[in-house]
Amino acid sequence: MSLLKLQGVKKIYQQGRVEVEALRGIDLEIEAGEFTSIGGPSGSGKTTLLNMIGCLHRPTIGQIIFDGDEIEKLPKEELAMLRRHNLGFIFQDYNLIPVLTVYENVELALRLLGDVEKKEIKERVVNILKSVGLGDYINRKPNELSGGQKQRVSIARALVKEPKLVLADEPTANLDSKTSEDVLEVMLEMNQKLTTTFIFSTHDPQVMEYAKRLLTLKDGKIIEDRKNS
Amino acid sequence: MSYLIDLATKNLFRNKLRSFISILAIALSVALVVFVKGLVGAFIDNMYSLHIQYQAGDIKIIDQEYQKKERLLSLNYPVDGFNGGGIKAMEGELKRIKGIKRVIPRIKFGAAISTEDEMIRMMGWGVEASKELEFTNIKDKLVEGRMVRRGQREVVMGADLLKKIGLKVGDKTTILYQTSFASFKGSTFKIVGKIKSGLKLLDEELFYLPLDQAQKILEMPDMATDLLLETDNYRDLEGVLAKVEQLFKDKSADQRYSIIPWDKGYSMIGMLKVGEKIYNGIYIFLVILGAFVVINTMIMIVKERTKEVGMMTALGVKSKEILSMFIIEGIIMGMVGSFLGVIVGALITKLTAITGIIDYSKAMKGVSGNILMNPIIRPEVDLSNLLYAFILGVVVTAITAIIPARKAAKLDPTEALRSN
Repeated sequence: MSLLKLQGVKKIYQQGRVEVEALRGIDLEIEAGEFTSIGGPSGSGKTTLLNMIGCLHRPTIGQIIFDGDEIEKLPKEELAMLRRHNLGFIFQDYNLIPVLTVYENVELALRLLGDVEKKEIKERVVNILKSVGLGDYINRKPNELSGGQKQRVSIARALVKEPKLVLADEPTANLDSKTSEDVLEVMLEMNQKLTTTFIFSTHDPQVMEYAKRLLTLKDGKIIEDRKNS
Repeated sequence: MSYLIDLATKNLFRNKLRSFISILAIALSVALVVFVKGLVGAFIDNMYSLHIQYQAGDIKIIDQEYQKKERLLSLNYPVDGFNGGGIKAMEGELKRIKGIKRVIPRIKFGAAISTEDEMIRMMGWGVEASKELEFTNIKDKLVEGRMVRRGQREVVMGADLLKKIGLKVGDKTTILYQTSFASFKGSTFKIVGKIKSGLKLLDEELFYLPLDQAQKILEMPDMATDLLLETDNYRDLEGVLAKVEQLFKDKSADQRYSIIPWDKGYSMIGMLKVGEKIYNGIYIFLVILGAFVVINTMIMIVKERTKEVGMMTALGVKSKEILSMFIIEGIIMGMVGSFLGVIVGALITKLTAITGIIDYSKAMKGVSGNILMNPIIRPEVDLSNLLYAFILGVVVTAITAIIPARKAAKLDPTEALRSN
């Protein structure tokens, strides 16, 4: 059974009196362990699609099944719990909490789970930070880090709870090409090491090439779905 | 929950100056509440206390006819016990009631002293000296000599009255009065003490004499005009009052005597009670004023952290947890501010209590002796006031923090993530 299945998903926004159709019927299946990129020009619906998959928005029409759950049927609280336990997010702007250290930013995702022992939290946070190459930066505050380091913290925060799916919305958009490559290498490494499923959006063709599966969106529709050799 | 408290605490250090100003605003308003409550409380308690000591007791028993003509100091309607059995026996019955500490009889009567130029009118209070010394603060007000003694023809007078009649402690004076049978008489008494209290009633209008002497000269054996009851707690009279009323009913004396609690039937006390309620509203208003700064800060915080709220929602933080986080932040500001406010307020109150801040001495000159008010107000530092101000500060801040916190909790996560 696939980890994620979208059937005829449409998303219509109301902008004043005008209806904007951001997604126009998406049919998609993602298997566990995939490393998938969603490409396409600005306004093609990449972020909307990620928000739907990330349970931050419900589709106007259509069905999203995540790990057997029909997410449009789940109440708001259960969606929050589903995100808490099963989904990791990596943001373009990193979105780290400035008053927390690197360690605390990553730790937050585990503390939210509520049932992880303090000792285990420490072990997992330190391990994941070492894995993303930030073992020596655990006590730094985000303002003491470079853009690439911040994004690594963001990756560590997304992965530390060992989610089934990690969603990354243009994770390299604010990084130079060298740092972008480093970050993508880390994501790829984590995908292979932890078998975590990754879906990331980008409009950079160079970045897309890291993915094993490439989806291209245009005007709210998938116009291309291919494997990357 | 613990991560929310940790995060809320750390968030206060994001903009230290802004947090400091918010905490300062709360601290100032709470300090003001502590001080004003201490001041108003001292003023009101002082008035209640003087009213109870010199006018009403905790409960006052008087003849119903006397009540109608109390200001005339009529001796025709005395308290003479149950069915004329005398006040001693009545006192014995009353003291059997649990909660009554003391029964204080007084005879109040009109009197005069003739000086070379004029006739000075006064009010005589026949009292049991030992009870008065325990029930009132008269001991502290005796600046010269001593209190009257049972069986002695002696009086204690106020300093202003002595000045008016041109006499001093140790002198003798003849006092004119009307007996209960309406015959005019004069008796000579030795002045054994001088009172200086700041109260017009005590300093200028009345003189004390022993109750037995008053009963003798006024021909009122085993009688009094007023019987005051002192209870264990004047703020909680309900039970005792019911028992006293039952006793008078059982003795068929309920149709003759009025049993008046200290806070009923006195317009001044009624006004003070309304004043107390108004001030309670003012305290809340004062803290709300301080909390406005917190609301403003919280609105700015929510606006600044919109994107962060989006991120936290994506991490799986529930709306109610976002709400809690911002409220906790408000509560922490409220707690720190209220704590500082309580300390500062207590210090200011303590300092002003030593010096006394308002001196009404001059203003009191023209006021009737019936208005019993200490001319110098000394605010009181009361633990319950401090606790009240602290809790008020925290609760009001928490409630006001709900407004911006709700706004944060209702943010659409995707729009929050898109914000700058």
